[in-house]
Amino acid sequence: MARYAMVIDLDRCTGCRACMMACKVENNTPQANFWMYVFRFEEGHYPNTHIWFMPRPCMHCDNPPCAKVCPVGARYKRVDGLVATDWDRCIGCRYCEVACPYGVNYFNWKKPSKNYYLDWQAKDVQEVTGGAVPPYRNPDLDQPYGAERRRTAGGGRLKGVIEKCTFCVHRVERGQKPACVQNCPLFALHFGDLDDPNSTVSQLLRRKPSFRLLEELGTEPRVYYVGGHPPSSESHQIEEVRVRV
Amino acid sequence: MAEQPHALPYGVGRFSHRFLILLAVLTGVVVWGLFAYAHQLAEGLVVKGLRDIGTMGGATWGLYVAFVIYFVGVSFAGITVAALIRLFHLDHLRPVSRMAEALTIIALILAASCVVADLGQPLRGIINLFRYARPQSPFFGTFSLVVSGYLFASLVYLYLDGRRDAALMARRPSRLQGFYRLWAAGYRDTPAERARHERVTLWLALAIVPLLVTAHSTLGFVFGIQSGRPGWYSTLQAPGFVVLAGVSGIGLLLIIAAIMRVTLPEGKEVHVGIFRWLGTLLLFLTVVYLYFMVAELLTTLYTGTRHEAEISRSLLVGEYAWLFWGSVTGLVLGALVLSLRFLPTNVQTRLPSVSPRWPVLLLIGALLLTGLLALQGLDLISPFSATTARWLASVAAVLALLALVLSLPYLSRNLVAASVIAGILVNLAAIGKRILIVVPSQTHGNLLPYGTGWYQPTWSEISIIVGLFALGALLYTLFFKIFPVMEVHAHEEGAA
Repeated sequence: MARYAMVIDLDRCTGCRACMMACKVENNTPQANFWMYVFRFEEGHYPNTHIWFMPRPCMHCDNPPCAKVCPVGARYKRVDGLVATDWDRCIGCRYCEVACPYGVNYFNWKKPSKNYYLDWQAKDVQEVTGGAVPPYRNPDLDQPYGAERRRTAGGGRLKGVIEKCTFCVHRVERGQKPACVQNCPLFALHFGDLDDPNSTVSQLLRRKPSFRLLEELGTEPRVYYVGGHPPSSESHQIEEVRVRV
Repeated sequence: MAEQPHALPYGVGRFSHRFLILLAVLTGVVVWGLFAYAHQLAEGLVVKGLRDIGTMGGATWGLYVAFVIYFVGVSFAGITVAALIRLFHLDHLRPVSRMAEALTIIALILAASCVVADLGQPLRGIINLFRYARPQSPFFGTFSLVVSGYLFASLVYLYLDGRRDAALMARRPSRLQGFYRLWAAGYRDTPAERARHERVTLWLALAIVPLLVTAHSTLGFVFGIQSGRPGWYSTLQAPGFVVLAGVSGIGLLLIIAAIMRVTLPEGKEVHVGIFRWLGTLLLFLTVVYLYFMVAELLTTLYTGTRHEAEISRSLLVGEYAWLFWGSVTGLVLGALVLSLRFLPTNVQTRLPSVSPRWPVLLLIGALLLTGLLALQGLDLISPFSATTARWLASVAAVLALLALVLSLPYLSRNLVAASVIAGILVNLAAIGKRILIVVPSQTHGNLLPYGTGWYQPTWSEISIIVGLFALGALLYTLFFKIFPVMEVHAHEEGAA
């Protein structure tokens, strides 16, 4: 069985946030939900500043605090390492969200169809779209995945459930890379199998020193960062995304 | 029914005009709460002030969770007091026993409703929590131990404890006779039956006391074992929950006992000794909780890991300072008012007496100001600028403090009034403290460098909470209109 992991090369990331866009398009996530988020950090004081960028997907921890606390087992760890959310079972208590130290969970506060950046039912929008009702929904997202055959792919499902990064389970199971990895123009994001010594992720981790976020909490994240350092008290966010639904 | 020569005791079955008006008002508030809930169901939880932790900079748990803890906390008093009475033969406290039991049951019902109100998918919640229950989740304890076990044990205790009274009440003709007969279920109050009941309730009380500590602790563990949330991750969380539960519960029980004393024709049976005993217990618990608070703050501030310190700062001098210091003041003043009775009598008599008119006037002024500021806080009306609002808040606080100081001489002479004031103060403080436990750890001190967030409750959340309080009051009063609030005396019955 594969042991999937993501390696993020901070030396390469330019903070273009293409991964955030790719994720939103691929997974139909509602407004203000960023399953993939890119921190833009500034350190030091003008004029001696240093700017760097840190993408933050779900860490798909090996010891996931969110799956531990889920009262109904809607959040669970798959054998291949993906931390999945079964939106068919989620009751919307949001315990996973408070338990997660990385802040990667997003709740559907309102009906997702009412919650995209454009109101597709509005008249002036329909004049342009010719009555078609985007967002286009990928039929792959509605399939059950994994040995458990549970519906865990994609976002924007129904109001009152939690959703988060799935590592694009619908793509990974077909042997493709997650959308963010696929769309990174600078190859800063890598995805692969840690059990395969020839995979890019294994090679990168052998070659470069790496760290994981908040490793001291014992969550054992599956997302590794190379070529940089973890954010410290010196790292201030610039252009912080503060959008609410 | 009031005209009947052998009317049932403790106002059972008697509905005066004033009581009917109270019922109508409470029902109205409940209906308003239901409307707010329907609105929330239709629109989604977006109508609440909650948002996602992280990029949205919000708190995902807010007032509802704070009030779940509060209601479960209030339930503490009930069955504890009842069980302590049974275990330690505190027979002089018997008159509040049933009030306390009913308080537990109703508070637990409210807590369960509050949980459901907080769920994004309430229907699924009710089904899936049983269907897919996972003991590894701290919530499992909340549902199994608190809501099911604790509620069930309390219901059985109330039932057994009330059986004798039901049997006695069933002897006299009334419209409720059938109900009492059903409750008594063949119990006839023979010595053998009484001894058996004594034995059973003793064992049940023994079982309830550990259940109560574990039940409140599980709720504390919901927060205390989350290492990813600075401010929650603390060993003191579970014991703190147990103690604060006792503070709020006994405070509320004191208020209810005083209301019963004033409104019931047999009110004098709720004698001053009860207030003295419960007041001392409340004083003890309040002081213990204050000690916990100091211990916790010192730990987080002194070594000061960055995130813990950030939360402590937000409490002490930051965004939540008003709520934090308000809660501390509530607890301290509550303890102070409760310890007034330890003043030597010659000091008590030498205190100048102030007409109660002044404190009441000042208090009304403070409440009006607070109400205005609350409306502004909810963005419903905003007559003041932010600076004026801050000034007015201080004015309101000063007025309330002055009212309390002026009423101190009166309170030192009137134990019941002092207990009620202390009960109100510690309950407000407990609510404040519950919110402070739940919210700041989500908006501040995030381990990843997200910006600080904010949380502001909306009218919809507050309406649902107020509706739940009204529902509780409604159930409570109605229950004691069909069942005697205190023990029925056998000799009275003999005469009948």
